[in-house]
Amino acid sequence: MNPADALTPILDIPDEEVAIRLRGVGNRFGDVVIHEHLDLDVLRGETIGIVGGSGTGKSVLMRAIIGLRAPSEGKVMVLGHDVWSTDPSERKALDARWGVMFQDGALFSNLTVRENVMVPLTEHTNLPPKLALEIADLKILMAGLPPSSADKLPSELSGGMRKRAALARAIALDPDILFLDEPTAGLDPITAGKFDALVNELKETLGLTVFLITHDLDTLRDACDRVAALAEGKVIAIGPLDHLREHATGWLSEYFGGPRGRAALG
Amino acid sequence: MPEQEAQFTIDRSGPAPVLRVTGDWTIHTIGQIDAELRPVRDMVEGRPAIVDVSGLMDLDTAGAYVMEKALHSSVAEPAQMIGKHPVAGRMLAEVRKFTAGCDALPEPVALWRQLLDRIGRGMAQVYDESVDTIGFFGETVVACGKAIANPGRVRWLPTFAVAESAGLNAVPIVMTLSFFIGAVIAFLGKTILQDFGASVFTIELVGFAVLREFGVLITAIILAGRSDSSFTAQIGSMKMTQEIDAMRILGMSPMEMLVVPRVIALLVMFPILTFLAMIAGIAGGAIVTMLTLDISPTLFFNRLNDNVGVDQFWAGMGKAPVFAFIIAIIGCRQGLNVESDVISLGQRTTASVVQALFMVIVVEAIFALIYMELGI
Repeated sequence: MNPADALTPILDIPDEEVAIRLRGVGNRFGDVVIHEHLDLDVLRGETIGIVGGSGTGKSVLMRAIIGLRAPSEGKVMVLGHDVWSTDPSERKALDARWGVMFQDGALFSNLTVRENVMVPLTEHTNLPPKLALEIADLKILMAGLPPSSADKLPSELSGGMRKRAALARAIALDPDILFLDEPTAGLDPITAGKFDALVNELKETLGLTVFLITHDLDTLRDACDRVAALAEGKVIAIGPLDHLREHATGWLSEYFGGPRGRAALG
Repeated sequence: MPEQEAQFTIDRSGPAPVLRVTGDWTIHTIGQIDAELRPVRDMVEGRPAIVDVSGLMDLDTAGAYVMEKALHSSVAEPAQMIGKHPVAGRMLAEVRKFTAGCDALPEPVALWRQLLDRIGRGMAQVYDESVDTIGFFGETVVACGKAIANPGRVRWLPTFAVAESAGLNAVPIVMTLSFFIGAVIAFLGKTILQDFGASVFTIELVGFAVLREFGVLITAIILAGRSDSSFTAQIGSMKMTQEIDAMRILGMSPMEMLVVPRVIALLVMFPILTFLAMIAGIAGGAIVTMLTLDISPTLFFNRLNDNVGVDQFWAGMGKAPVFAFIIAIIGCRQGLNVESDVISLGQRTTASVVQALFMVIVVEAIFALIYMELGI
């Protein structure tokens, strides 16, 4: 079986081929249980789409993986390192191997786009300033922004351009894994489609693993190799989109079978 | 996996120069060779158009970028590649599309020109701000006029909320500071007047200074710092979350909802605070004079009554509504001018406090001139 078609959250493959490995992850806020015994394996080089209703903890899961909020229990392994029990220097090296694009971009509002992209470069590498500038511009162009936008502040950009700027910052270090939190939310369908194409292109060029949280069915169809559905604190279904649609039950059948799902997927 | 140093040689033995690259060419390794590679990039003739990647290990887009820059290469005329590498071909081709664009960057502006540019902009801004403030002043007067004509439309709940937070909650700090200022004036007066044998005039000094100037000035300075920043931050963050736009859409005027309540609240609370500040200041002065000059309370208040008089009290109190108005409108105006980013919120809050303090001192000076002419 091609592992990319895997229909189970737990894959029986060696650690080197796994980008993200979650085992028994639990998250709770006080008495509210968000995740319980959640297992998930993300293969290297695949784009995995995470879907789930509001409040199923998609972003919480992402924050646990990228080291922003410790899970209440369980193990989070990224590229063979346990995110929550590495020493600080190893952790910093790990930080340089993933790029994150937050929901609203989270660009530093007092820095220009170019300066934003240069932040990870100056923080994690010792490039000469001039070269760092050039690399930043390369990433800005790769993210599909016009060169003139490099000197603008985030507040002077449109929503779609802000997302691209955030993407440029996320790929600044040529990461192994790219985390995208609702990359196409709030974009018009044409811009969203272009953004999906851009993510696909970057994934091909950079050999990225993409962890993509989305509600956008078009994005699931166009950009994702596999889709994992979160509900009841677990991954209730995982696999290629078509498989998920055929075997959809409960929340998933409502998700795919609703008017929007039918319109997007045909 | 430890990183291998990035290295390169230019082989000119063949018919065409070949760039031979070895080691890892990633964003972490290319920093060291950038200085060596730059002369190759600037070469006009003899730049290699062939790259040998057989010794290349890891490669990322940053590595591909510097490599592509050193080669005689373009999308129309791509550099040749010899040797095998899993990603080099694709990576170079991908980066090639963008390398030309990275050169077309604008030159950074010289520092002295930036300086002149900023001075010019600053000057123009002072003018714009003044015109704007005067315009807003007029707008507020009209809105307040409407509110007086139709008191039913005044939002009393926010008015009282502001009166509490900006007025009542400021009572302790205003009174404490005023008390100490009164005490300091008394100490100073006593020390200096003693040399002339006129230390009893300390009482008059305290009376004049506190009633006429410091009571109202201390209140104005504290409110300019305390309330203006909060007005600007409150209204500004509402602007950032589009609450002000929502108000407009729902047919509510931000002037009526936000500005008029603040103006009314300050107009009422400011004189009260000033009065309390005066009491505290006089008390501070009185305690010091009584303790150090051995003057009885009766004497103190008699002299105060006879030689200072109620005129000075009214001279001070008369400024209170003017200061209240200035402080309220500057805070509100700066809040309404906040844009959608965090920097402008910070800038506007600073501007609001600075402008209010500036205006308070300027108006204080104007009052001093007017009172002098009137002979008060």
